[in-house]
Amino acid sequence: MARSRDVVTIPMSVDNAGGTDGPVTEEITVTVNGEDVTAEVEPRLKLSDFLRYECGLRGVRVGCEHGVCGACTVQEEGLTVKSCLSYAVQADGAEIETVEGLADEDGSLHPIQEAFHETHALQCGFCTSGFVMATKELLEANPDPSREEIETGLADNICRCTGYQNIYEAVERAAAKMEE
Amino acid sequence: MSQSQPTEVDTETDADSERESFTGQGLPRVEDHRILTGRAEYIHDITPENCLHMALVRSMHAHAEIVGIDASEAEAHPGCELVLTGEDLRGEYNPMPTGIETVTTDDGEEAPIEEWSLAADTVRFVGEPVAAVVATNRYVAEDAADLVDVEYESREAVADGMAAREDEVVVHESVGTNVVDHERLEFGDPAAAFDEADHVVEGEYSWGRISGVPLETAGVVAQYDEEADAFDIDCNIQLHTLVDETIYETLGYDADDVRVNVPADVGGSYGTKIAIHRYCCLAAMASQQLERPVKFEEDRVENLQGGDMHCSERDYRMRMAVDDDGTMCGLDVWFVDDFGAFPRYPVNQVLKPLSVLTNSYVIDDVSYEYDLVLTNKTSQTAYRGFGVDPHIYALEMIVDDAAREIGMDPTEFRRRNLIRPEQMPYTLPSKNLYDSGDYPATLDRIQEIVDEERDGGLLDPEIVEAKREEGKYRGVQPSVIIEPGVSGSDWTDRQRSDREDLEERPREEVDELPEHLRATVGEDGTITAFLATDSSGQGHQTLVSQLLADELEVLPSDIEVDYLDSVDAPTEYGSAASRMAVMLSGATVGVAEKLVRNLEAIAADHWDVSADEVTYHDGVVERVSTSETLLLADLAAIDADGDDHRRSVSYNYDHPATELEEFDEALAQKLPVYPTAAFGANAPIVEVDVETGEVEILTFYTVRDCGTMLNPMIVDGQAHGGIAQGVGAALLEEFGYEENGQPQAITLFDYLLPSIENVPKIEMEHTETPSPFTETGAKGVGEGGMIDAPASIATSINDALEPLGLEAPADRIPVAPDHLRKKIRDRER
Repeated sequence: MARSRDVVTIPMSVDNAGGTDGPVTEEITVTVNGEDVTAEVEPRLKLSDFLRYECGLRGVRVGCEHGVCGACTVQEEGLTVKSCLSYAVQADGAEIETVEGLADEDGSLHPIQEAFHETHALQCGFCTSGFVMATKELLEANPDPSREEIETGLADNICRCTGYQNIYEAVERAAAKMEE
Repeated sequence: MSQSQPTEVDTETDADSERESFTGQGLPRVEDHRILTGRAEYIHDITPENCLHMALVRSMHAHAEIVGIDASEAEAHPGCELVLTGEDLRGEYNPMPTGIETVTTDDGEEAPIEEWSLAADTVRFVGEPVAAVVATNRYVAEDAADLVDVEYESREAVADGMAAREDEVVVHESVGTNVVDHERLEFGDPAAAFDEADHVVEGEYSWGRISGVPLETAGVVAQYDEEADAFDIDCNIQLHTLVDETIYETLGYDADDVRVNVPADVGGSYGTKIAIHRYCCLAAMASQQLERPVKFEEDRVENLQGGDMHCSERDYRMRMAVDDDGTMCGLDVWFVDDFGAFPRYPVNQVLKPLSVLTNSYVIDDVSYEYDLVLTNKTSQTAYRGFGVDPHIYALEMIVDDAAREIGMDPTEFRRRNLIRPEQMPYTLPSKNLYDSGDYPATLDRIQEIVDEERDGGLLDPEIVEAKREEGKYRGVQPSVIIEPGVSGSDWTDRQRSDREDLEERPREEVDELPEHLRATVGEDGTITAFLATDSSGQGHQTLVSQLLADELEVLPSDIEVDYLDSVDAPTEYGSAASRMAVMLSGATVGVAEKLVRNLEAIAADHWDVSADEVTYHDGVVERVSTSETLLLADLAAIDADGDDHRRSVSYNYDHPATELEEFDEALAQKLPVYPTAAFGANAPIVEVDVETGEVEILTFYTVRDCGTMLNPMIVDGQAHGGIAQGVGAALLEEFGYEENGQPQAITLFDYLLPSIENVPKIEMEHTETPSPFTETGAKGVGEGGMIDAPASIATSINDALEPLGLEAPADRIPVAPDHLRKKIRDRER
């Protein structure tokens, strides 16, 4: 039977209180989905790993760690970034929004999430957080995008399951919902 | 597990009106909510308390002897808990099971091919693991892995399948040859057919090394329990109840002591994750040594270069015998498949094409021969299509060449040879059957669509001519292509059987695996079904809730669907080979019948009446004489008070081919058995830029039939995804290698996955010809697009460049720009 588990965070931050032998670290404070998170981190800690393991935000998916697939896409200061391509220390003082920040606290979905659900724009779902975040940026900048504009807006994200057909539908439906 | 429920279902059912069927509706998926909110738990998200992390040291040589490994610096690194090398594994564990166990050497000896989880003496491909390093987190584990000092003595490598057949460099010295499996099969009298035909057409075509490349890489969390001397292994392996033997046999434990559990959400597999057992074994071994949980997350470079996950790489020599009147008289298929360094589990990919040997055409006399060769590359796994995709491609290429040879329109040539509806069910020369379908009507319909585009559309002669002047050549060439569905399991070990005895093998010896399903009624009146398979995006939870809701006359939202691990589930096949629509259809009917019978029995006992005085309907059991009813919750509570546990049932649905004597011959002879034949015809309208060699698909038309559609929304999604992967295969993707065995595609900058900019608009139509062989009339669906799209794109490119007089310009997959430019340049010289 499937076992259920609580989220356990991996200690990626470093406790240097015990001595000076440990790695060099920096204290950072990042506003993640509206909450301040302060941590002592190594400069080499990727933002994606910080969000996943330090903040427990597993909706940040890591698919390639070299900036091609876009599964780790989050918004930093309102613009999408691939969180595998930057370091947590670079986000010090920044505001980050992940897919976990979209739905209401009562669990009701954001119009983009609703649209993806209704149009079957996800299958395995591993790319979905990234597509939802990229769609959010696209629609914030352009509330009524053409097919070509959708193509350009989502060209930095890879989906291996859906063939993108229903993703066009989802973006158009989300645009209509958000206009309402 | 949280689930959102479909909102569009009418919850008020009028008892008098006929019940609406959920099966056949495009119900939105129950899987989506947890994924969209970021709460889905994939394997990478599982990290138990006290967990350590593993990194691997991998060979950078394609072929080398390991002279020595010095791990002392790594072991001394702060945070490093363990370094395992190949030597450490010998004696304590076993080699991993292989697809070809032994090879008969020139001396007549049976020499084994051994693959260990870590190489000890020889490395045979770039990326082959030589040491496992375990530390407090992945960053530290990689630091320590860098400190492992491996001394190699490099050797000459072989990285080309055709060259490997010469055995100048041998990948496994102990067996003395790279050709580790070979078979020639003949059906009818191909020699006579070729002698007597008006023409014999020959062609050479090659299919480059591609694979599924799911966005989620492999992952495993292993925990050894010393007290129980047993393992718990969470991982994203595909077919966990079938291929768990690759894990427990390697560890040297019984099946019951190695519990393999796959999360409900897996980030894509498409066949590829069937073969991730190396990682499972290494994490388990490390956990056993350290008595702590150990986690491994494969990174993308590891995945692409040494992840044991590439798929078919074939060189074909095809011959077709044809008469002047356009009759296909004979077919001769010969190919080499480059399996990489080890012949792993999916060696039978070379055989699956026999299930669709002549595609949609009547050809009675056929020979089929292959060499399965090893080279210094990472090993093959399964990928959507399982070796059928290159076969269909090569076959459609020789059909194009034959049409040109006899001077017949290629569509007309195809039409003349199509299997006709009155021939259904149709037995192939290779003994598999096609269940149903009207192939000529499908070709006619796609041709109609193409003709519409010729009249003022993308293929309007004036537009085509104007474009050609700009150096842009448009074309399209449809054909009808079959997707074999619902593989049997018994034939899959043909290569490990005594093939000479198979002709005489009695039917009774056939041992097929069923599909297992459980259902239980909870005390709150909801029903939970348990799948014995794993899922990776296909929507099985949605599908089973639809099917079971109809059978039990309840709502899909009354049903939850969960998964069984490898110990709780029996050995069964699972999600592969376009199986689940058909197998779950049968399994749900069976499990529901059993459950209804039991619920009636509970009620009958409760009222102290005989079973025929009660009847189940709409989620209640009614006492006929009094109209009293007991709800599911009541029945569960009554059952909970007794000892019979009748509210929980399990059912094994037998493979449908075992019930049909038409399949007896194929079953007994271990020839590929696929009892459903979904089919379709594609018309990708392509535009080739002859200056750059680039191919753009302007619109991808497709007419498809997978029998009864259980959830049309999911069916469309499967077709879209398969076609997109077919587009990638046809035009973009390839794991190229240098001659010395160095891989050329180890990032996603080199291995090009199609983006939204590369996948064209797909215009799809469906017909629904039910399968007479399955419970719901559904046929297997899933692999189709990947099987048919590459062939259709290639034939369309041939058509587009026809005015240049090039012979089969698309004779290599992928049809990359450099390939087409070379073809065009060679012609200009």
